[in-house]
Amino acid sequence: MAVDITLLFKASVKTVKTRNKALGVAAAGDNARDELLKRSAARSKSDFTGRAREVISHIGKLKDFLLQHRKDYINAYSHIMSDYVRMTDTERDQIDQDAQVFMRTCADAIHQLRTEAHKGVQSAQVKEHRTAVLDFIEDYLKRVCKLYSEQRAIRVKRVIDKKRLSRLEPEPSSASKSPLSPEKSSQNLLEDSEEKLSAEESKDRSLPDAQSNLGLWGDGKGEDELSPEEIQMFEQENQRLVGEMNNLFDEVRQIEGKVVEISRLQEIFTEKVLQQETDIDNIHQLVVGATENIKEGNEDIREVIPQSCVLNSFVSLHFQLCPSVAFNSTCELTQSTEQCVLGC
Amino acid sequence: MAAGIREKQRVALKRMLNFNVPPVKNSTGEPVWKVLIYDRFGQDIISPLLSVKELRDMGITLHLLLHSDRDAIPDVPAVYFVMPTEENIDRMCQDLRNQLYESYYLNFISAISRSKLEDIANAALGANAVTQVAKVFDQYLNFITLEDDMFVLCNQNKELVSYRAINRPDITDTEMETIMDTIVDSLFCFFVTLGAIPIIRCSRGTAAEMVAVKLDKKLRENLRDARNSLFTGDTLGAGQFSFQRPLLVLVDRNIDLATPLHHTWTYQALVHDVLDFHLNRVNLEESTGAESSPAGARPKKKNKKSYDLTVSDKFWQKHKGSPFPEVAESVQQELESYRAQEDEVKRLKSIMGIEGEDEGAISMLSDNTAKLTSAVSSLPELLEKKRLIDLHTNVATAVLEHIKSRKLDVYFEYEEKIMSKSTLDKSLLDMISDPDAGTPEDKMRLFLIYYISSAQAPSEIDLEQYKKALTDAGCNLAPLSYIKQWKAFTKMASAPTSYGNTTPKPLGLLSRVMNTGSQFVMEGVKNLVLKQQNLPVTRILDNLMEMKSNPETDDYRYFDPKMLRGSESSVPRNKNPFQEAIVFVVGGGNYIEYQNLIDYIKGKQGKHILYGCSELFNATQFIKQLSQLGQK
Repeated sequence: MAVDITLLFKASVKTVKTRNKALGVAAAGDNARDELLKRSAARSKSDFTGRAREVISHIGKLKDFLLQHRKDYINAYSHIMSDYVRMTDTERDQIDQDAQVFMRTCADAIHQLRTEAHKGVQSAQVKEHRTAVLDFIEDYLKRVCKLYSEQRAIRVKRVIDKKRLSRLEPEPSSASKSPLSPEKSSQNLLEDSEEKLSAEESKDRSLPDAQSNLGLWGDGKGEDELSPEEIQMFEQENQRLVGEMNNLFDEVRQIEGKVVEISRLQEIFTEKVLQQETDIDNIHQLVVGATENIKEGNEDIREVIPQSCVLNSFVSLHFQLCPSVAFNSTCELTQSTEQCVLGC
Repeated sequence: MAAGIREKQRVALKRMLNFNVPPVKNSTGEPVWKVLIYDRFGQDIISPLLSVKELRDMGITLHLLLHSDRDAIPDVPAVYFVMPTEENIDRMCQDLRNQLYESYYLNFISAISRSKLEDIANAALGANAVTQVAKVFDQYLNFITLEDDMFVLCNQNKELVSYRAINRPDITDTEMETIMDTIVDSLFCFFVTLGAIPIIRCSRGTAAEMVAVKLDKKLRENLRDARNSLFTGDTLGAGQFSFQRPLLVLVDRNIDLATPLHHTWTYQALVHDVLDFHLNRVNLEESTGAESSPAGARPKKKNKKSYDLTVSDKFWQKHKGSPFPEVAESVQQELESYRAQEDEVKRLKSIMGIEGEDEGAISMLSDNTAKLTSAVSSLPELLEKKRLIDLHTNVATAVLEHIKSRKLDVYFEYEEKIMSKSTLDKSLLDMISDPDAGTPEDKMRLFLIYYISSAQAPSEIDLEQYKKALTDAGCNLAPLSYIKQWKAFTKMASAPTSYGNTTPKPLGLLSRVMNTGSQFVMEGVKNLVLKQQNLPVTRILDNLMEMKSNPETDDYRYFDPKMLRGSESSVPRNKNPFQEAIVFVVGGGNYIEYQNLIDYIKGKQGKHILYGCSELFNATQFIKQLSQLGQK
């Protein structure tokens, strides 16, 4: 943890002063001469520093200007904003132009300083120092330019996206290949140049975005002038697309109707199923009742059996063989009892 | 201590360079420029921590040595970072008189005395430059941090605090006092920067005890002085959440002389042992190409290359403690993965070329654009990776050459066996008389280790035999006489020399490495696996940190600067094991001990260790010191 002993130092200065006074030592007699020397030496060299500082303040102004209008520049794309906040394209172009001019002048000023910095200076250290100072200023300029290029990139990207959407995308269908191929090739060319630029810019040191932006603007201009063949092709394609759209529309209608029918049938189906459920419940109840009756019947018959030895083995056989099957036993038992009754 | 000492020192330096104001992150801030003036001490402190690029980022246009010829650069503030010695002060006063810079920010590495401050005040008055002296600071940064958890005291004047200086038989009291004061001053600065007051334990009757007494006194005085205390309030740092104070273990080099002589097998220690490596910079001599020079021509010129092995070098951080064959394999792996990535980038390039004619490929195009941009942005990363791979290939090759020519693996294995008291398959005499294994120095090291670790001294006849063999091999016997004396002094030699009872297992020839067509053809070099064993210093630390009872360490003295009254007892007040410890070796340390401590603490969760020493030497330098001592 560092300890600030500046106050201690100042106190030491006071002590030394009083000590010197007490000892009668001449304190800074050559004051005036030193001051003059200092001033003259400083004047010639402070030109460099002064101008460097000027350049820095200019760049600072640019930065403030960009930051101030940045919100408007970017935000005004959402057209929900109120009118007076919106920035027109011309205003944006104006900002772009101004910023570029500004950046160029700053870069020129730095360059000029660089050439002048080495004149009239003997010491290598001072040269090195000045080179480093200029590097710093250039770096600062680059950072501020990055601000500018970022917002420009956002704007350009939006414009491209808009254009891409508005431009009709060719479909890879064999029928429409030939009339579309020149169109595609022109598109390919645009894309290619775009990509080539982006490939080149990666090797380029300077602001890459600015370059690609310029390239895109250049290509954009060519796109606006459509030749008559292209217009015709576009019209044909328009019509074809309209026809397709209509077909699709009809199909969709049909499907809608069918879906409605299906839903109705499903309703009926569910109704029937529910009815069946109630019926089955009823049957279940009946069956349960029937089983009970049969059981009671069996018991009654059992009571009766010991009184008649003929029925004994018969009934007991049946009784043992099928005690649980409701209908079967009922039928058989009733049949056998009938037979027995008839027989007896 | 959550942020390592390295980070703390870096932050302190950066703040100092920012005119002692904490730096604010501002990506579009206006540039400020300044000039940095340092002396050799300052240079040693700054160079492992901040690279030239980082200095540039902080706005430093020039960095100059104090005692060089400096020209006047007006309109520029100058930041000084020097030790408050007489000559430095004189030079600074001269600068003030010559009006070299616009304003002066003076930072002293350790505290400046009042009288010297008045000297500067005098010069400033005389030059009418008092207003130009903007700030004066005591930085308390008088130590060099090499790693996140390792520091040394000094590099420039290490002669003064070397092992030899401390252990000389003809040392006077005043000289000893000066040495101790230097060490204590640095340790004090260290704890100020760390922001913690340690509990100190040291062995009795050694130089370490003297250091401990003085350090305790200094810390105590500083704490009592409520006005100027450096340890109050915000200096303790917001990150100081642990209620525990760290443990400072002061040991003397004399408890373990075998480790500095030991041949080693881990990467960082090997580089330090075999190559020219200090302050994280390794200097290699590379021979240019394999063409044989035509007869009578000049000998091949050797390129000198130096590399910085820094924290940002991920490969180094990962492998600096690994055994050497592992390092070789990893370099191979890195190289292969780099080649794969390179091929990927090349493939993308070729794809882009064909792309134009392909129909219906517009959607794929944008996808490839994304790939291309990602490849482009990853290019600097790739280049950096390549640079690191080249660096480590060169370094590892150089190390390997040394290993092969001196048969260091054999020595390592043998010494491990000696130190762990297992059976030796080859007699010592054979090893020494073997003409093509190792330099005379290696043999001397081996013999000294044997001598130190043996429970009783070898018989006279044996000794004579050994001596004869050593002299035949070309060794200088001076170190031996010193070691004999040392052994006589330290009768407790029985305890420290038990280095654990594990043996390294040779895994035979590394056929796997050879099969992968590696550049590192490690034929004939054994792949030795380092088993974890605790060196004496690690053992002592373990006992003290875990509050284990052990006859070796029970007798250690106990100091607590925060207690009102110091006590002579060695009974610790605190019964809980410590979470953080600082091991400081008075008399010199080396990377083997450091690595051993790191390995030890890796197994323990949540515990941290810092390793420090008064100087860092490798075996060659240590032998030299021993020779000098033995010659007296």
